[in-house]
Amino acid sequence: MADDIKKAGPDRRSVLKGSALAGGVGAMLATNVRAAQDGEPRAAAAVSRIPVSLSVNGQTRDVSVDTRATLLDTLRHDFELTGTKKGCDHGQCGACTVHIDGERKLSCLTLAATVEGADIVTIEGLAKGDALHPMQQAFIDHDAFQCGYCTPGQIMSAVALVKEGHTGSDAEIREYMSGNLCRCAAYPNIVAAVKQAAPQMGDA
Amino acid sequence: MADVTNTAAPTMANAGKPIARYEARQKVTGGKIYGDDLAVPGKPAHGWLVTSAIAKGTITAIDDSAAKAVPGVLMIMTHENRPPLQPMKTFSTGGIGLTSQEPLGGPEIAHDGQIVALIVAETFEAAREAGRKLDISYNEGRPATTFGSPGVVRKTTKEVVGRGGGPTLGDVEAALAGSTHVVEAEYSTPVQHHNTIEMFTTTAFWEGDRLTLHEPSQFVWGAKVGLAKQLGIDPDNVHYVSPFVGGAFGAKAAIGHRTPLVALAAKQLGRPVKLVPTRDQCFTIAGYRQETKSKVRLGCDAEGRLTGYSHELDEFTSLLDPYHNGGLENSAAMYAFKAVGGDMFLSRGDRNVPVFMRSPPEVPVIYALESAMNELAEKAGMDPVAFRKLNDTRVNPVNGAPYTSRSLNECFDEAAASFGWSRRTPAPRSMRDGDWLIGWGCSMATYPTSMTPATARVTLNANGGAKVEVAAHDVGTGAYTIIGQTVGERLGIDPRRIIVQCGDSDLPPGPVSGGSVTTASVTSAVAKACDQLLAKMSASGPMSDEDRRAAFDRIGSNALIEYAEWTPAGMDPKQAKTLYEGGVPFAGGAGEDRTMFAFGAEMVEVRINERTREIRVPRMTGAFAAGHIMNPRTAHSQYLGGMIWGMGSALLEATEMDRLRGRYVNDNIAEYLVATNADIPQVDIIMVPEQDDEINVLGVKGIGELANVGTAAAITDAVYHATGVRIRDLPVRIEQLLV
Repeated sequence: MADDIKKAGPDRRSVLKGSALAGGVGAMLATNVRAAQDGEPRAAAAVSRIPVSLSVNGQTRDVSVDTRATLLDTLRHDFELTGTKKGCDHGQCGACTVHIDGERKLSCLTLAATVEGADIVTIEGLAKGDALHPMQQAFIDHDAFQCGYCTPGQIMSAVALVKEGHTGSDAEIREYMSGNLCRCAAYPNIVAAVKQAAPQMGDA
Repeated sequence: MADVTNTAAPTMANAGKPIARYEARQKVTGGKIYGDDLAVPGKPAHGWLVTSAIAKGTITAIDDSAAKAVPGVLMIMTHENRPPLQPMKTFSTGGIGLTSQEPLGGPEIAHDGQIVALIVAETFEAAREAGRKLDISYNEGRPATTFGSPGVVRKTTKEVVGRGGGPTLGDVEAALAGSTHVVEAEYSTPVQHHNTIEMFTTTAFWEGDRLTLHEPSQFVWGAKVGLAKQLGIDPDNVHYVSPFVGGAFGAKAAIGHRTPLVALAAKQLGRPVKLVPTRDQCFTIAGYRQETKSKVRLGCDAEGRLTGYSHELDEFTSLLDPYHNGGLENSAAMYAFKAVGGDMFLSRGDRNVPVFMRSPPEVPVIYALESAMNELAEKAGMDPVAFRKLNDTRVNPVNGAPYTSRSLNECFDEAAASFGWSRRTPAPRSMRDGDWLIGWGCSMATYPTSMTPATARVTLNANGGAKVEVAAHDVGTGAYTIIGQTVGERLGIDPRRIIVQCGDSDLPPGPVSGGSVTTASVTSAVAKACDQLLAKMSASGPMSDEDRRAAFDRIGSNALIEYAEWTPAGMDPKQAKTLYEGGVPFAGGAGEDRTMFAFGAEMVEVRINERTREIRVPRMTGAFAAGHIMNPRTAHSQYLGGMIWGMGSALLEATEMDRLRGRYVNDNIAEYLVATNADIPQVDIIMVPEQDDEINVLGVKGIGELANVGTAAAITDAVYHATGVRIRDLPVRIEQLLV
């Protein structure tokens, strides 16, 4: 309902437009720098799609993205990395959590054009070949999911939480995992999985 | 008809092995297993729904000039240009539709958030921009929103749908009049939305005349046949693919408007179309649990023996279709009532059509009954556990049909011992820890065991590899896992060597993943197919590798394939055919000859801060008995998730409405409160052994909808125990305790 009322004044839509523009500008600067290097001047004002170079799971790819495209949609549509899930597109559920430069971020609230050059890791990039990340194995061992749809986001949050040092107590784990909703409510099993994996993680 | 008593496995332990989920690795590595993840042939176009900004009225004009001008827009479908569709019957009337209302059928608006346009563009961003630029003018009427709103008419359910008078036994008025203690109270439950984390996505593409749908579904065969009828095409030309579902809870069984529209768009454009609606649209383009009111009168004699039980149930529903749950026939079977009465009523308004949501009738009805049980126990001066045990029954008191098994008292004993119930001091406000008032409450949990026909095909190779195929559905329940386990246990092969295929309408049909029927029904068909294989190999039970190889050598083949159809006891075996027609007949629960329910006992501790009234639930204990447990690991998760759902139902979940405009207000997953990790410190699950040789082939009862029933009654009683304040309207919130 919040999204469909027209002509309602300076609402979230214009805020979103503003942030899209801001993201676009940042990326366009980078584009212009590169374009200048290529010797191909561009009319920045007309750009609605821009080329960006994204590093995802250790591989860098040049893609042309809509300036309004979120990292979430770019991962799903352009990179065909569908492990990162859209559960709300509003930063409310945590299903789209990825790592950007080692920190957990909501890819639905991150414009793809703003993360050029950043180190992006998704659920598909967590395992080393056939060897699961200790957090992935722990989620299996503790049946820390049912439908599994929130699981990629839960695992990405859980890995980051351990690195953040928030495993001091069960209550602390619960608190720092509360940005990731699980409608099947596997919460106690998720806490158990985090506790199992934390001491096994090392630098993983 | 399958002779269930003869095919039961008497030597089988009470529980199978707690192996990890079949698909566990895919779920932790981001595997492409959900509808919107699946690859499509060619570059897909992206859809965007435009939904109505009013709850009642008509569209007076659509100006699509600005929307059309957005670069990349391929199509704007509205009621003015929608290709033809055939009528759709609702789930309640033998079809698969969420509603009988036509998708984009005209300018009339019947509820908030009705789909009024489908926009398709080259990119998601372009479709969204065009959606926001589609200018729709309305003539807005005044909607009838909910109970008590102007324009809402209340009728008996029987008047509206021709059935549903409610069970009767004896003279309930006389029984109540002759009772020593009587509770008379009104309870209410709010609108709730399923809010699965996976939204209602749809992808459609055509290859010639054949339509493929990638869509999360709890019933791919029903969807296939129903959608084919709606599109006016041969069902064999519809392929429904839904390998795994990102949460369902009842929301993904019926077909709403989006599915045929996306299919039509894909046809018209000649390329795949993908739709991912917004979270707020998911509140109005699918169903929800409707609001209810219960007026309960319950009596007992001086010794605490129940006398009369009268229950008047009011459900709200849509003016489009009178979806309702009822449920009094189940609550009337719960205890040794001497007399039963009551009735069911429907009030209708300008709302989207409700639908089943996890334990549809039981959540409101058993909440009311169990709350009244707690209140009556207090009036009679009895412990609520002792009160329930005293009133246990071995038969449905309404018709005398015996329970096939019922372990409610054992569940209460186990739960009480684990929880420490004997340390409860009965007086309200008698337990505290500093500023925190402590309350302990309890309730029964129950869910009818229903079964449906099912089919399955099992392929066994000489080398011990096997494949089992059935269009059952895994909505997080562990269906693949326990289907594979059934084959493994039945044939004596390693479950890791068994390929399980579900969620695809090209497979032999399974039932809807609803009513907790899957395990009991599908494993019965799978076991039957396995038994047919064993018979072909002249074996009567699980075989050693050696014996199996010898049998294959004798037969002179390297693979055997068996297909089986199973129907529940008491149902005409011809009913299996219904599955192929997209239907699904149910049997079970409070039946004519047998009464089939799973039971549990739940105990909760609440802590309420005396100064702020903040409510916390530091621990919950649930003890459940549901026949043979196929896999204790996945069962544990079902119970755990169920009890947390129950907690959410008691303290968090409610869809708020703008009563004047008939619109949902908190239509997002931040303001519609669901339990988070921080809300759930401790949940203890106990599985109480129970053997039921009568109920079906493997002696199993469905458990997916058991644990969230009754929890709210336990919590409201705990709130009363902590504070002395009886809250009868859910959810309990701080403001209700500021008295």
